[in-house]
Amino acid sequence: MTSNKRLVLLTVAATLAAGIVLSALAGTLLLFSGWYNIGATKQHWQPVYTVLERGMHYSVRHHARDITPPDLSAPRMVRQGASIYAARCVQCHGAPGVSQHDIGKSMQPIPGPLVDAARRWKPGEMYWITRHGIKMSGMPAWEFRLADEDIWAVVAFMAQLPALSPRDYATMAEAAR
Amino acid sequence: MSWRTGCMLALAGMLAACGQPPAPPGVAGDPARGRLALTQYACHACHQIPGITGSEVYVGPTLKGFASRRIIVRNLPSTPENLARWIRQPQEIDPHTAMPALGVSEEDARDMVAYLLTLD
Repeated sequence: MTSNKRLVLLTVAATLAAGIVLSALAGTLLLFSGWYNIGATKQHWQPVYTVLERGMHYSVRHHARDITPPDLSAPRMVRQGASIYAARCVQCHGAPGVSQHDIGKSMQPIPGPLVDAARRWKPGEMYWITRHGIKMSGMPAWEFRLADEDIWAVVAFMAQLPALSPRDYATMAEAAR
Repeated sequence: MSWRTGCMLALAGMLAACGQPPAPPGVAGDPARGRLALTQYACHACHQIPGITGSEVYVGPTLKGFASRRIIVRNLPSTPENLARWIRQPQEIDPHTAMPALGVSEEDARDMVAYLLTLD
């Protein structure tokens, strides 16, 4: 190897090493200084939020890829799902004409409205999210609180939600009590 | 006031000014506080609101360009008072709306209006 080539390689290696050391120092400083504002009144920067949200979508799609949903059209199943929804989901997600409770209003990231969930997710994906929850979002895993058929019942109800008016929902929730 | 305090006050004023445009003339309320309040009443769960981080949602209409809207809903003209009323009790104005009452206080509604009316 000519000495010239060696000099170039050494410079590249030293620059890379210095870059890694500096980034590690900056990261450590940010972590231990506490300068990052963890408060829920300080929102994520939009690009950070978008990347995290995209990652969540890809992860759910990947993990739910092999789930085959049962028949979700039985009215009894939809009614059962409405009853569970009114008891366990509306606090954070709201419903047509019904607001979230204070907990759901204040969470950051904000729990998405489920009114149009069936337009954005396949049934197997809604089942996976309900069953396993979403890390660092406040969405709990319902696997240990609801029977498998009850999770599917909620999915069956969510599949009907986009078509429900506030009055339809009120009637269903009332009947479910 | 020393020159140093003067400079710091001027700088603080400039920083505040570049962060948040002031409410339009004749509109009471604090737009910066209103922006924060919108995130604490889950408004961005259903509406896309410029200046507020959130998902691409279409459950409620986007609030982009809100200041130039003439009508809020049905035939209710877009005045600060009507807007605050709509935010606090939407179902009193339109019984069929899917937008729920979110328990917004009078002061918070006024601040939200001040922010929304800066969105041109």
